[in-house]
Amino acid sequence: MSNALLQARGVGWRVGALPILTDVDLDVGRGELVGIIGPNGAGKTTLLRILCGLLRPSSGAVWLDGREIGTIERRSRARSIAFMSQETSASFPFRVMDVLLMGRYPHLRRFEPETADDRDRARRMLSYVGLLGLEERSFAELSGGERQLVLFAKTLVQDTDAVILDEPSSSLDIRHQDRIFSMAQELARENRAVITSVHNLGVAAQYCSRLVLLDRGSVAAAGRPEQVLRTDILDRVYGIRTLVSPNPVTGSMTVSVIPWRAGVTGSRIHLIGGAGSAVNLTRELYRLGCELSGGIAHEYDSDEKLWKSLGIPCVTVGAFSRITDEQVTEAAAMAQAADLTVLCAFPVGPGNSGNLHLAARARRLVVMDPGPEDAPRTFFSEEGRALFEKVSARAALLRYEEVLKLIERGSDGPGDAAERDG
Amino acid sequence: MRLVPCRAAVKRRTVLTFIVLPVLLVAALLAAVGIGAVRVAPASLIRFLLHEIGFHSVALPDSRDITILLLLRLPRVLAAMLVGSGLAVCGVVMQGLFRNPMASPDVLGISAGSSLGAVVSIATGLASRSLLTLPACTIAGAFLSAACIYLLSTSRGTTSLLFIIIAGMAISSLFSGLTSALLLFSREYEVSQFIFWTMGGLDGRGWQHLLFSAPVLVPGMITLSFFARELDLLSLGEEGALSLGMHVERMKRLLLGLTAVITGVAIAVAGPVGFVGLLVPHLMRFIVGSGHRTLVPASALGGALFLVLCDLLGRSIAPPYEIRVGIITAILGSPYLLSLIVRIQRRGARGAA
Repeated sequence: MSNALLQARGVGWRVGALPILTDVDLDVGRGELVGIIGPNGAGKTTLLRILCGLLRPSSGAVWLDGREIGTIERRSRARSIAFMSQETSASFPFRVMDVLLMGRYPHLRRFEPETADDRDRARRMLSYVGLLGLEERSFAELSGGERQLVLFAKTLVQDTDAVILDEPSSSLDIRHQDRIFSMAQELARENRAVITSVHNLGVAAQYCSRLVLLDRGSVAAAGRPEQVLRTDILDRVYGIRTLVSPNPVTGSMTVSVIPWRAGVTGSRIHLIGGAGSAVNLTRELYRLGCELSGGIAHEYDSDEKLWKSLGIPCVTVGAFSRITDEQVTEAAAMAQAADLTVLCAFPVGPGNSGNLHLAARARRLVVMDPGPEDAPRTFFSEEGRALFEKVSARAALLRYEEVLKLIERGSDGPGDAAERDG
Repeated sequence: MRLVPCRAAVKRRTVLTFIVLPVLLVAALLAAVGIGAVRVAPASLIRFLLHEIGFHSVALPDSRDITILLLLRLPRVLAAMLVGSGLAVCGVVMQGLFRNPMASPDVLGISAGSSLGAVVSIATGLASRSLLTLPACTIAGAFLSAACIYLLSTSRGTTSLLFIIIAGMAISSLFSGLTSALLLFSREYEVSQFIFWTMGGLDGRGWQHLLFSAPVLVPGMITLSFFARELDLLSLGEEGALSLGMHVERMKRLLLGLTAVITGVAIAVAGPVGFVGLLVPHLMRFIVGSGHRTLVPASALGGALFLVLCDLLGRSIAPPYEIRVGIITAILGSPYLLSLIVRIQRRGARGAA
């Protein structure tokens, strides 16, 4: 037997003939913070309730510290495993202190009153979650977030080796969300086993040592966050297109949803960008279903990163290097094939003046006119400015909205429209 | 409006409640035995009691007064106290059990079940065999409706506030309907019972009623008060109680069974007196807070006081006629129920339901 504190083997749960969970295996050891993720209705809450013995599984079994959880006497079980439910409403005005002391129930015999130690522990836990001073307030009058923090403190008052949290931060702002997951991490560092269901995948990746992804009641993936949070897995389970990228500041993974695409409409657009000047237009045109190509952009530029992650064919050049004639030729083929080429408003210097040569070779060209709130088009050399004047002389100068309108009018020939407008 | 004042204030209020309520209760008892169709000096009872326990220097009141006191007034007032506290305690327990501020023996149909039991026992002639058959039948009726409510409330995972209430109303009207139907076929001399088993009253309650009810009601209420901590946990959510290691279903069956017995006996004494079980717990919760350790005894005292006063009011509004205590509680209780519904509606909008 492994040294896991909590073990689930082949756990299943069905309501009538409808399977809610099928064949779930899970080992959670001391010191681990395991996140259960998955779409709504994937069976997260059911799994958590089975793990802490509130539900008896229809098949399989759960062991807590080597003993089958259903066979443990209830109070003794409640001294080893605590559960924080999503349910935070209160019908009656109990004081916060009363609610916290309920966590001592499994530790007290009938007629045994709470001791000063119990009260002291309750007060310390309230101060730990940052709500000291609310002891005498009515629990029912607190905000949803405060109620969640109080219930979290209550599970701490219960003082158990295993802690199970069901969506502990569902009504918390990001500050309190960070706080509650940091505290969960701390619980794990105190050598307890912590399991939590999480909706926010970024949060799950940031705090959990291990993730279990549930899909319609079975484990779709399990392991370290980077093993589970993969686009191919997430796309299948959630039925959307996702983008997983490391957060540049925290280093943890963020999962974003790629906007839904209207289906390719046929307009082929080539975007000449750089320095992030094409990001907004790329996103919008992608959503509209245009067939896009991009270039020439420097590697690690945000335009380049977006094009790569959306799978848009593009021509790139090494970071901080000069665009070569070969690259211009390569990109010119794309610009020739496109119905329309858009020259975005990026700063022009010696490194990227090749983009202007590229623009000169486009089949139909539109030049983006930066609006008053956008960064103005700047030039670092007189040569670049002259080149731009030459290129833009034979093209329409359009604002962002005008470009979109032009392309949306689309399939009946954006090129003609460009000429008409020009 | 702050429903829970600060702790010191609650403590002070709680202590005060447990001093003031007993004092008021004794005062109400003395007043209630004195006031009636024949006025007896309130001191008469004290004089009689002092004389009986050995202060022979205290003059006995005249024998007519003693008869009125001992045979008519005192058992009636004591019955009011017992029934009042029994129903109020049942109200507290049911509200905690179902996490529902609108639960009470009458709202959930337990009272109607008891009444049906009583009417069945009268119509079948069982009641005339022994004094104990009627209470046995009211308890059986109470159990029947309690079982219905229990099954309905556990058949769905989580029960909403309104579900229980609507189920209770349905059970209540079913049993009241059956009661009325039975009475249609009853002989004429039984029809006078009709009024009694639809609204309850305390007229003509004597020592024989106390003899069978007190040995059930007093220990029953004391037993319920032992489960204060469990009631606290249940009123904060069954899932929480379950995860803290409570045998939730076993506890619910036990508590509901006890309330059925207490309600059944209380109703065998006074008929289905309404609103005590709804109104008193709320008033007490307002004063001493939601913790059942103080709420249960406070409701017992409050219920006793409330029913004695209601009965007194009914007897003194238009003497020599008596307005039944059930009418008085209904008149006082209905507006309160309405205000409660309005308040819960408002809170429902905040998602607390």
